[in-house]
Amino acid sequence: MTLSLSDYRDVAGMSAIRELRLLGDKIAGAKVVHVNSTREGGGVAEILRWMIPLMRDLGLDTTWEVIEGTERFYEITKTIHNGLQGQQVYLSAKDWAMYCEVNRENADRLRSKIEDADIVLIHDPQPAPLLQFMEKRKGKWIWRAHIDVSHPYRPIWKGLRQYIQGYDASIFSMMEYAQPLPHPEFLVAPSIDPLSDKNRILTQQELSSVFAEYNLDPDLPLLVQISRFDRFKDPVGVIQAYRLVRKVTPVQLVLAGGGANDDPEGKAVLAEVMEEAGGDPDIHVLLLPSDAHVRINALQRLATIVIQKSIKEGFGLTVTEAMWKGKPVIGGDVGGIRLQVFNHHTGFLVSTPEGAAHRIRYLLHHRDRIDQMGDAGREFVRDNFLLTRHLREYLTLMLVVTKGATQRLLTV
Amino acid sequence: MKPFAIKDCALLVRMSGLPPAYNLRDLRERIAVCADDVLYHHFCETPLRPTFDNPDYRNDFAVWTRKCLGDRMLAERLGIVDPYAFESTAQLRAATLDLIEERLAELTPWVPTVRPGREFFFLEATTVVFDTGEQIPHPLAMPHAIRKMTDGSVFFHFLESRRRHPVGVDDFSAWLRETGDEFHPYIEAIGAIDFYFLTLKQLRAEIHRVLIEIEVMR
Repeated sequence: MTLSLSDYRDVAGMSAIRELRLLGDKIAGAKVVHVNSTREGGGVAEILRWMIPLMRDLGLDTTWEVIEGTERFYEITKTIHNGLQGQQVYLSAKDWAMYCEVNRENADRLRSKIEDADIVLIHDPQPAPLLQFMEKRKGKWIWRAHIDVSHPYRPIWKGLRQYIQGYDASIFSMMEYAQPLPHPEFLVAPSIDPLSDKNRILTQQELSSVFAEYNLDPDLPLLVQISRFDRFKDPVGVIQAYRLVRKVTPVQLVLAGGGANDDPEGKAVLAEVMEEAGGDPDIHVLLLPSDAHVRINALQRLATIVIQKSIKEGFGLTVTEAMWKGKPVIGGDVGGIRLQVFNHHTGFLVSTPEGAAHRIRYLLHHRDRIDQMGDAGREFVRDNFLLTRHLREYLTLMLVVTKGATQRLLTV
Repeated sequence: MKPFAIKDCALLVRMSGLPPAYNLRDLRERIAVCADDVLYHHFCETPLRPTFDNPDYRNDFAVWTRKCLGDRMLAERLGIVDPYAFESTAQLRAATLDLIEERLAELTPWVPTVRPGREFFFLEATTVVFDTGEQIPHPLAMPHAIRKMTDGSVFFHFLESRRRHPVGVDDFSAWLRETGDEFHPYIEAIGAIDFYFLTLKQLRAEIHRVLIEIEVMR
């Protein structure tokens, strides 16, 4: 179902919608093209699915184009992706040439759609070389990095940088993710869609059905961690924290997520988690399919406390989702979790299972604090991490870039 | 009387291009040379950035000093610095450097250093200002209008305005001054708000409260 901006009025607030309309009016009619590498699956496609209709609703002539490539092309771009995230990977000169050539073919195919656009947003590394084949481009070209390139494997970054540096600007999700580039580097944090299946309000029936499906105990406080079965998410550490709490307070734990199907490491981590759980009936390890959005939503809403005890993390949108559902979050003191969890305000940052156990016990013995922190977290997300803020920053960025503004104040 | 035109604004943050600071000496060196807009951003624009309104410290330098360097003493000293109390950014910069240099001298030869991933990134921003099409026709309509204002409007008219002419004055007071003496109590009440330590929501509520109080007294 395609939503319009007015559908968000109740959750984001009337003033947020009014602001967007006012800003949209200033750039209405502009031709905006988003280009990425897939229409299905992955975070970028998820963002573009809501962003395109909402930009159109604001009067921007917005389209979404997808590049096409061979299997080998996607292997190469996957290698680039891994290299940008720090893995020591190798690409030959022939691989780089193929990466470039596939983009040249796509440039020929897409030329009539993007060459005269006022703003072209190129998402992630796959379509980055398109720019160099658009000699007659009219508008501003912006490279949007959705991934963490803070510590790239240098040969890969060096190879990619030559395609990036010609852009008019780039966008990073967090300041920690950026690399020095010879153009303005803007910061736009990710966001959640409060009306998506993952975040919308659920009926009592939907909640009860999930509660029953997983045989949860209505008399026990529920701790929930939603994440892939990945060592960086430290699911074993969460079980250790649960056991420390369990010694003194009855409690149950849900560890739910995907990532073990075709991923050998995921399978190994899942096996470690099952072993650590040791058949404890109050530990529920749930391997969910990637489209289990409503079930994840329900588990977060049923939780007494949400845990995200990562030892390495990107922005951590599962934290944002939990806070939006009014839950205090006990999160690892890493990455974007630090930007969302503030001790005694929206939850607690921890570095060890012992630290997590201590904070869980604190909250279970101070139930009023659970509600206070949950309320604070929800309002923090409403003000800062809903898609309305994300959209506002994109509109602001388009105004700044098209007007070539470098000054501190730009009146439009 | 000319009506008050309500503006709104949105902030777009970007990397300043300065290298990050890994220790207190780096921080001192970067603050000494950074552009005025960088300093202004870290002291004044944080309420508009998607960040948590830290109730303990109102500027990024104090927050970083406390959370990343672990230096509570310097954080307290930096945290109380009110950037709006200085007549110029040069004075604000000098005062900030003075505090950091004093601390470096106290700690010599030790230089507090952060763990990797905890460095201070220097940012700046462009504020895009736009007309809302709404007006306040008369000072008596101010409480109602302010209660409905967005955070962006409150920021632009009450905080950002202090950097524009007339320097150090909020837009509401500047407008009220044009109306003569009748609304002088409004100017006094708004001027008495200790605003730097309030979030934008608290600030909006506080301006509304003091104006309502005067109306009740009238």
